[in-house]
Amino acid sequence: MLKFKLFYDKDAEEDWLKEMSLNGWAFKKFFLGVYTFEPCEPGEYNYQIDLLDNWNGNKDDYARFMEDMGVEVISQWWRWVYLRKKAADGPFEMYTDAQSKIAHYTKIMKFFQIALVLEIVCFIIELMAVIKTGDVFFGILTGVIGIIALALLKIVWKCKWKIDQLKREENV
Amino acid sequence: MTNSTPLTEALFYILLAVKTPNHGYGIIQDISDMTGGRVVLGPGTLYGAINSMLTKGWIRLYSEDKESRKKKEYLLTSLGREVFLNEVDRLKELIKNAGKMDEQGA
Repeated sequence: MLKFKLFYDKDAEEDWLKEMSLNGWAFKKFFLGVYTFEPCEPGEYNYQIDLLDNWNGNKDDYARFMEDMGVEVISQWWRWVYLRKKAADGPFEMYTDAQSKIAHYTKIMKFFQIALVLEIVCFIIELMAVIKTGDVFFGILTGVIGIIALALLKIVWKCKWKIDQLKREENV
Repeated sequence: MTNSTPLTEALFYILLAVKTPNHGYGIIQDISDMTGGRVVLGPGTLYGAINSMLTKGWIRLYSEDKESRKKKEYLLTSLGREVFLNEVDRLKELIKNAGKMDEQGA
């Protein structure tokens, strides 16, 4: 089964994959917003999504390490990896203490901050094109880029909120 | 100075678990056993901690058999032991001073 969905919040995405698994659909692959599912026992797998440190470097080492833990790397999208573990093998949470959670969300925040800056640059270029030409097509494009930029801003803000929350809990 | 800030619980227990050569899954199991299931490290937490301690030289790779895809094993270094013992000294001081709470209350 194929499903098209766009997520910019990986926590919501994890919840959705878990829900699909509970309904008997195991996530297999992600490509350009298209999720591939195959039938499974309801609730057979739990899912987590992680962000690798760099674009190519440590992937094999990472995948083998996770494999030893009973965790399977099932799909990769740029630096993002989709992980699953059989529910029968126990609970599955990648990051279990405040320090590593803070590091994880900081990494995600930086990732989206870079995307946000690029998006704002594109927005300004498009906006200038609109002002100069008055073209409707450029106008629509500018609107779309603006919406994406706002979505990115929201996720950066959400990461920052989570990091602050974790720091408060830990008194660091 | 080897370590100025207190160790996190995760780092403290990982150092303890690699006193003798141990692999990733074994480390999680040993820590869970030692703490009666209270501390169960997530795979991501362990992966990050191991890589940072390898970089700092607190632990080292003990074996990596690429042919048979054997699990990587990690072992405490003398620097790691020093860091651990410094932390134990700090904890002993805490416990010693904790006794003062009762003296005051009596």
